[in-house]
Amino acid sequence: MPQMGVSVAEGTIVEWHKRVGDWAERDEVIVEISTDKVETEVPSPESGRVTEILVEVGTTVDVGTVLARLDTSASPGEPHVEEKLTVDSSQLTETPPVTPVVRRMAAEHNIDLSQVRGTGRRGRVTKKDVLAFMKQWGEREPQPEPVLHIESPYEDEELSTVNRQPSTGQPLSPMRRSIAEHMVRSLQTAAHCTTVVEADVSAVEAARGRLSYLPFVARAAIAALREFPQLNATLENDRLYVHDEVNLGVAVALGDDGLIVPVVKNAHELSHEGLASRIADLAERARSKRLSPDETKGGTFTITNPGRYGALLATPIINQPQVAILDLEAVVKRPVVVGDAIAIRPMTYLCMSWDHRALDGVLAARFLSSVRHHLEGWNG
Amino acid sequence: MAEMTYLQAISDGLREEMRADDSVFCLGEDIGAFGGAFKVTDGFAEEFGADRVWDTPLAENAIIGTAVGAAVEGMRPVCEMQFADFISCGFDQLVNVAAKMHYRQGLAVPMVVRLPSGGGFSGGPFHSQNPEAWFLQAPGLKVVAPSTPEDAKGLIAAAIRDPNPVCFMEHKHLYRRAKGEVPDGRYQTDLGRVRVAREGTDLSVIAYGAMVPVALEATEDVDGASVEVIDLRSLVPLDRDGILESVRKTSKVVVLHEATRSCGVGAEVAALIAEEAFEDLDGPVVRVTAPDVPIPFSPPLERAVLPQVDDVKEACRELVSY
Repeated sequence: MPQMGVSVAEGTIVEWHKRVGDWAERDEVIVEISTDKVETEVPSPESGRVTEILVEVGTTVDVGTVLARLDTSASPGEPHVEEKLTVDSSQLTETPPVTPVVRRMAAEHNIDLSQVRGTGRRGRVTKKDVLAFMKQWGEREPQPEPVLHIESPYEDEELSTVNRQPSTGQPLSPMRRSIAEHMVRSLQTAAHCTTVVEADVSAVEAARGRLSYLPFVARAAIAALREFPQLNATLENDRLYVHDEVNLGVAVALGDDGLIVPVVKNAHELSHEGLASRIADLAERARSKRLSPDETKGGTFTITNPGRYGALLATPIINQPQVAILDLEAVVKRPVVVGDAIAIRPMTYLCMSWDHRALDGVLAARFLSSVRHHLEGWNG
Repeated sequence: MAEMTYLQAISDGLREEMRADDSVFCLGEDIGAFGGAFKVTDGFAEEFGADRVWDTPLAENAIIGTAVGAAVEGMRPVCEMQFADFISCGFDQLVNVAAKMHYRQGLAVPMVVRLPSGGGFSGGPFHSQNPEAWFLQAPGLKVVAPSTPEDAKGLIAAAIRDPNPVCFMEHKHLYRRAKGEVPDGRYQTDLGRVRVAREGTDLSVIAYGAMVPVALEATEDVDGASVEVIDLRSLVPLDRDGILESVRKTSKVVVLHEATRSCGVGAEVAALIAEEAFEDLDGPVVRVTAPDVPIPFSPPLERAVLPQVDDVKEACRELVSY
C-alpha cells in the first residue's frame, strides 16, 4: 500500500485491474485504492507477471502492506496461470458463513468464532461446535460494557511516599493530553452543579433480557429530553442553542488508553434496541480505532456509564459545549419502602451534572424525575 | 386397551360417538349396506339403521351441502368422500358455504368430512392425492391428519365434537398397516397439539399422516445423530409452540410430507420457523415432499414421486453434516 499523502495511514482496495497470471507493464494501472481522502489508481512499479494478489477487494490495510507480487524475471506472452485454479483455491480456504444460531450464541456468550473448530461441511462452525467449545473453555467474562467515564481515572495515592525515590514520571499520551485539556477547559468554562435522583429499575430489569441497562436509560433520557429540550442544548459564546435532534454522546472506555465519546446521531428516532445496537457498534469501532472523526462530533447530550465497577455516585464533567451529562452508576438491590412495606428492589442513582449558566436546579430535577418516571414505568 | 388397525380405530371412534350422541350421523357413497369402499362403516347400517347411515347419490356437492344444512340445524353429520380426490366436486359447499357460515351468519357448522387420502398403491392421479393444503387457504375449516390408531380414534371424536367444519385426512396407506394399542371407550385428542413421536436433540423431522412412520424408520440411525420426530396431527390449527419448541432445541429441521411441494403444509411450517425461530437455526429448513406433479399410476414412477425412507434419510444426513 503506497503512501498517498502525509496524513494517510491506510487504504482500501477498490478494484484489481490485473489478475494473477496477467502481465503488467511498468506504470500500467494495476490496482485502484481509496483512502479517507481520495480514490486513486496505482501504477505498476515494474514490468512483470502478477504472481500473487495478497489483499482482496474491500479490505483496508496499513500503508506499507504488500498488496501483490510481480515476477519481474518473467517475460510477456508466456502461458498464464490457470484462472480456475486460483478461483478454486480461494473458495476452498474461505470458511462458509455462520448460521443464525451460531452467530447469536457467539454474541450472547462473547465467543470469538475464529477460536472454535468447525466440524460442519467445509469447516463450518455448527451449534454443536459452539456448545463443545463452551463446555471446554467455559463462558468468557463478558467484555466491558461500552462504558466510559468522562473524568480521568482516579489513581490511589501511595501511602508510603516518604521514602520513595523521586520518579522521573512519564509524558502523557496524546489522548491523555487531549482529555486533560478538554476536562480542565470544561471545569473552567461551565458552572457545574450535580443533581441526583434515585430510581427503581425493576421494570427495566424485567424487560432487559440480555441487554444492559444503558440503552434503557438512554431511551428514557431521550424521552425526557423531548419534554425538556432546554437540556438538549449547547452553550457557545454566550449563546444557547436548543437542538431539535438528539445526538447522544456515549462515553466509551478504551482500556488504559483513555476514553472517547462517539455520538449516536438522531438518537431520538431509535428504540432502546436500536440504541443498544448503535452503541455496541460505535463502542466496538471505537476500540478497534475505526471511528471516523465525524462520529465523535455534534453531540447534544452525553451519557456516561461507569457503574459496572460498583461506584454509587459521581459528579461527571460536562462534555463542552453541551449543558448536561447524565451518569449511570451501579444498580444495587436495596430495601426500599413501597407503600407501607419494605421491599427489595434494584435501585440506581441517576447523577446529572449541568451547567448553571444555561439552566437552574428545578429544571434539572424535573428532567431527572422524568427519566426516573420513564424507567420505573418502562413498557418498551 | 385393544390392538387395532388405523381403520378399525376410526370406525371405533365413529361408532362410540354415534352411540353416545343421537345427533351424529353418517352420509356418503356406498357407506350403508356395503359398509364403505374401505369398510370404515362396516356394520353401521345394521347397528344404527338407515336413518343414521345414509347411502347418497354420487354427488359430493349434495353430500356436503346436505351436511351443512343438517349441521346448521343442530345435527353432527360425518360425510365420507370415497376418495379425498373427489372433494373437488364438493368444493363450493365446503370452502364457501361451510367454512364461512360462522363468519357470515354466526352459525356453527359442526360437521366432519372424512377424506381417505394418499398414494402408494398404484391408484393413479385421481385416487392418490393429498389435498390437505387446499383447505389451509379456506379460513373457517379445521384440518387434522392422524398417523396412529390411538390418534385416529381420538381425533375423529374431537372432530365430531368440534363446532367447526373439520376435514379429517385419513391416509389409506395406514388403514391396515398402522396398528397399535387404542384406549377403550370415548376419549378425544385435542386439536392443535403436536405429538413428539420420538425425542431427539440434533435434528427435528416434522411430518404428519403416513410420513410419520416413514420419518421414524428413516431416522433410526442417521450417522449417530439424535433425531426428534414431530407428528403435527393437526394442520389447522397448527401447534406453533410445539413446532418452535422442537426447533429451538435441535436448530435443524426437515419438514416432510407426501403432498406436493409448492404452497404445501411444509411451506407454511418452514415460513413459521423462518419468522419465529431464525436465530435458532443452524442450517436451512429442508423440505422433503412429492414434486409438483400428478401421482403416476406406474409403481416404479409412483415410488420415485412419493418420498421414500431413503430420501428422508439422505436429507437428514445432509443436514446433520451441514
